[in-house]
Amino acid sequence: MAEKKKATTKKTPSKKEDSKKVAPVKQEVKKQVPAATPKAAPAKPAAAPAAVSSTTQQGDARIGVFICHCGTNIAGSMDIDAVQESSKSIPHVAYVDNYKYMCSMPGQTVIHKAIKDHKLTGVVVAACTPRLHEPTFRAATKDGGLNPFRFEMANIRDQNSWVHMHDRVGSTDKAIDAIKIAVAKAALLQDLYPKSVPVEKAAMVVGAGVAGMQASLDLAAAGIKTYLIEADTSIGGRMSQLDKTFPTLDCSQCILTPKMVDVGRDENIELYTYSEVHEVEGYIGNFDVTIRKKARGVMTPKEAEAKGIVGGGCNGCGDCETACPVVKPNMFEVGMKPRKAIYINHPQVVPLIYTIDFDSCVKCGICVTACGPEKRAIDLESKDEFIKVKVGTVILATGYDIFPIEKKEEWGYKRFENVITSLEFERLICASGPTGGHLVRPSDGQTPKRVAFVLCAGSRDNTGTGKPYCSRFCCMYSLKHAHQIIEKIPGCVPYLFYMDIRSFGKMYEEFYYRIQDEGAKFIRGRVANIMEDKATKNLHVMTDDTLLDRPIDMEVDMVVLASAVQPSADTNRTRKLFGVSCSMDGWLLEAHPKLNPCGTTTAGVFLAGVCQGPKDIPDTVASAEGAASAASIPIHKGEVELEPYFASCIEEKCAGCGMCVNLCPYSALSLVEKDGRTVMQVTEAKCKGCGTCGGFCPGGAIWMNHFTTPQIVAQIDAFLLGGEQ
Amino acid sequence: MSEAGANHKFAFYLGCIAPNRYPGVESASIKAMKKLGVELVPLKGASCCPAPGAFGSIDLNVFYAMAARNLVLAEQMKMDIALVCNGCYKSIWEVNHKLKHNKDLRDAVNEVLKEVDMEYKGTINVYHTAELLYNDKFIGVDKIRDSVTNPLTGARIAVHYGCHLVKPHKDREFEKEVMLNTECPTWMEELVAALGATPVEYRNKMQCCGAGGGVRGYDIVHALDITNEKLINLKEEKVDALTDICPFCQLQFDRGQIEIQEKFGVTYNLPVLHFAELLGLAQGMSPQDLGLDLHGISCEPFLQKVL
Ligand SMILES: Cc1cc2nc3c(=O)[nH]c(=O)nc-3n(C[C@H](O)[C@H](O)[C@H](O)COP(=O)(O)OP(=O)(O)OC[C@H]3O[C@@H](n4cnc5c(N)ncnc54)[C@H](O)[C@@H]3O)c2cc1C
Ligand SMILES: Cc1cc2nc3c(=O)[nH]c(=O)nc-3n(C[C@H](O)[C@H](O)[C@H](O)COP(=O)(O)OP(=O)(O)OC[C@H]3O[C@@H](n4cnc5c(N)ncnc54)[C@H](O)[C@@H]3O)c2cc1C
Ligand code: SF4
Ligand code: SF4
Ligand code: SF4
Ligand code: SF4
Repeated sequence: MAEKKKATTKKTPSKKEDSKKVAPVKQEVKKQVPAATPKAAPAKPAAAPAAVSSTTQQGDARIGVFICHCGTNIAGSMDIDAVQESSKSIPHVAYVDNYKYMCSMPGQTVIHKAIKDHKLTGVVVAACTPRLHEPTFRAATKDGGLNPFRFEMANIRDQNSWVHMHDRVGSTDKAIDAIKIAVAKAALLQDLYPKSVPVEKAAMVVGAGVAGMQASLDLAAAGIKTYLIEADTSIGGRMSQLDKTFPTLDCSQCILTPKMVDVGRDENIELYTYSEVHEVEGYIGNFDVTIRKKARGVMTPKEAEAKGIVGGGCNGCGDCETACPVVKPNMFEVGMKPRKAIYINHPQVVPLIYTIDFDSCVKCGICVTACGPEKRAIDLESKDEFIKVKVGTVILATGYDIFPIEKKEEWGYKRFENVITSLEFERLICASGPTGGHLVRPSDGQTPKRVAFVLCAGSRDNTGTGKPYCSRFCCMYSLKHAHQIIEKIPGCVPYLFYMDIRSFGKMYEEFYYRIQDEGAKFIRGRVANIMEDKATKNLHVMTDDTLLDRPIDMEVDMVVLASAVQPSADTNRTRKLFGVSCSMDGWLLEAHPKLNPCGTTTAGVFLAGVCQGPKDIPDTVASAEGAASAASIPIHKGEVELEPYFASCIEEKCAGCGMCVNLCPYSALSLVEKDGRTVMQVTEAKCKGCGTCGGFCPGGAIWMNHFTTPQIVAQIDAFLLGGEQ
Repeated sequence: MSEAGANHKFAFYLGCIAPNRYPGVESASIKAMKKLGVELVPLKGASCCPAPGAFGSIDLNVFYAMAARNLVLAEQMKMDIALVCNGCYKSIWEVNHKLKHNKDLRDAVNEVLKEVDMEYKGTINVYHTAELLYNDKFIGVDKIRDSVTNPLTGARIAVHYGCHLVKPHKDREFEKEVMLNTECPTWMEELVAALGATPVEYRNKMQCCGAGGGVRGYDIVHALDITNEKLINLKEEKVDALTDICPFCQLQFDRGQIEIQEKFGVTYNLPVLHFAELLGLAQGMSPQDLGLDLHGISCEPFLQKVL
């Protein structure tokens, strides 16, 4: 700070020299702008001349500075009067005001009134961040009759008053600097016009669990063509593996199957199972997505027909499966049931088309014979197919996997036969599961009489092995499991070892009371260790009962671990294709945790269901409907505005070297022939304004709108030299 | 930093219990490790580690400063520390780790060390000899097997790991990268097998010996109760000996059996040997060289089986 002060006071002598150095650059650019601007072709041609003339702003720039108190957020940590006084003497500043809440209606009125009354040519608001309120103040600037891009923000809250809360002098000085810098840019701001691009009237949903299915059904019902991409061979996700669902205890398949059938039947939904997103190009309104349809080995009737096999294709008879000699574990049944190399997950699958697992298939051809000469559904030589589609918006709904709970070694999963996970419990208690709905001990097939449930298994775990977050549905489904064994196995007692019971939803606490009344036992204590009795294969659950304050060693017949959940395996690759971020724990990052939970920071890409964070089915479906609604807005509007921050080529300076073309991460640049010369050309809709090319071009031939070289140089000058007088 | 380790020359930190109660652990470690290409150089002037339970639960500042002083002695020798006791490992490894990663703590400790003209710099690492034995980077199971001249064939030997080497595993590279499993580890059993003996699993293997955390000093009956439970579980498996890697655990199992006999009237007569002693035997050292006659419980029945 002290050093910087020196620089500011020293500025006067060195100033003249420097401004000489800088001035010609500015002039030169000003001259060029008219030449460059037509190439940056604004969407509304009528506005172009205005844009050009307005670039000569600086000489007669009249900037208004509006300082926000944010209640005491800002005013509590700096001297607003001093900031106001200093701002008055900044070159080009024609008007300064301050207000308690600049973003409020009265605050915005102060701005647009001042623009008119004081004939302002640019606006600086010193307040929070552009992320929060740039749109607000652009609107206010527009209301005052200026082009909305004549607005610049000085961040004096998040990066100043909040961090220097106890340094009043320092934060006051820093605020003045921030305003100087913003004014320097504001004086050079040009009118810009966002470009509108048409939006493809189609959407893509990735992942067909209950979230992806619901989102697709909603989009389809709104008349939008929807591509639904599912990695597995059938749709339904985790919910199709569940037996009953809390708190109403309706059968999961019974409520899910109708939706699955609807998805399979809806004319607006084009379903790609056993497929994944391979490549993504483009931007909101115009995503070009390549789908990889994995070699399935079995043709649908439609595919068969396309190959000239009329009346053929897989009808789900299962003759191939009966014949196939290769046996593998069925992962839908969490490996507790066998399947063949040619298989379906379960009898209700949508679509009812068999799949060959080519990693296990020995290509013996027996299934081909079994399928027969009429259907001829099986093609052992089938290859991955790549299909390109264009969509306007995208919803990610990639769900979750179960945390590999064997990593929590103290509980002995995979070491002790009678320690199972909750998902295995769902399959064992389900009438269509591997045991026909009889819960039995894996070690001896006996019906257990004492079952321990270990809650928060791998969740709320700060040891570094598990997950720090709450998995959010395990309390509730463990209550459900307790109910199920009380109901199904007379005399069997469930013991729930818990830290807290989080029964937060509608009718959830009531469900908790109900299970207590039914006789489930609750022990508050995190399970420290589980040991197996070698002879009986019974288990000893060791913990501290924190309510009775005594150690517990309880012998039970079976232990069910309510494992944590984590993002599904392919989530990370998929999110990167769409440029979506994730939080530290791997769940996909929403645009705002409260006010935009379905959006992402990539325009046109939305999130539904557990991929954003653990959610039970009611919350999953609500988030899916929210995402579908958000994803349909740009499609129904028909066009989206792109920020006019794109690069443009100053053709006289461009040497046609083409180096920028390779640098652009968004493939927005190309080389073209013009008047006998090779020059660079920008596809504005593709350019994200990242500035990579602009910073690189050795000839300075790239003009970055809204972040022009003269603007940035002026900002640096304003900070280091105090700017021009 | 770990160059000293790469040279396979370590500052040998003995601790208190080994030299006073089980001197064979010292001689066996030095001689056996030498055969395996690792030189243990005495860390002169070292004090108590200090004991993690006794000091760590009462005055952390003393705990940090004393451990830091021992670390500085090794820093002055420009050698990593090797030690033979889980308690010492807990104190010295952990204080080293904390001081390396916490500048405020380091400054505070150096303030104290100034009084004896010392400064902790954070230039060395701390290893348990069991870690050096198991980790291929230093010695490894194969080398140990090759060094055996007197295989302990036919002996059924159970392992007591002890708590402080294994946990907490969060920051410890050895536990995370080499041991892998800290709840039901079997790497010590691999070492036992390398000596030609038969490693034996038993119920509640990872339970505490009963002594640690100041329990032995504070409430001996309670401590023996825990030991007794372990001995019951060991008896079930009919083992010929129990091996450990911590003189304090050894004290609890060895002398503890005599105390259990006095207090509870139960007799086990289970020989208890530090792994260094076992290794010495397998490499041909005599029971006298190993001071096995100084044990509370006679090792004779076991020796008859293997010699
Ligand atoms: C044991 C257990 C019991 C439960 N019981 C209940 C209950 O009783 N009541 C309740 O409300 N909730 C319950 N839940 C929670 C419920 O399972 C979830 O709320 C719900 O499944 C979330 O749906 P989803 O669509 O977000 O995710 P998922 O069901 O995980 O669906 C995601 C889908 O996306 C696919 N996919 C993943 N990655 C990709 C990719 N890269 N490309 C293409 N496709 C991909 C997957 O194959 C899957 O089909 C339970 C959970 C568990 C573990
Ligand atoms: C003390 C407290 C602290 C909280 N803190 C947090 C927090 O830190 N984070 C968080 O996420 N949530 C918090 N919440 C919860 C948060 O307040 C609610 O989630 C949120 O306000 C719900 O918004 P809503 O629009 O559904 O309902 P409301 O905010 O209640 O809005 C309903 C509106 O409808 C109007 N209205 C009602 N009936 C009629 C009618 N018949 N006709 C016309 N208009 C009508 C009402 O006047 C009102 O304006 C907190 C709640 C409380 C009580
Ligand atoms: S504009 Fe920003 S800083 Fe000002 S009141 Fe609104 S949120 Fe707070
Ligand atoms: S070809 Fe493959 S899928 Fe068909 S029967 Fe043989 S192993 Fe099974
Ligand atoms: S929902 Fe319950 S069991 Fe699951 S992590 Fe949260 S508190 Fe633990
Ligand atoms: S600014 Fe970035 S996105 Fe735009 S053309 Fe240049 S490199 Fe590509």
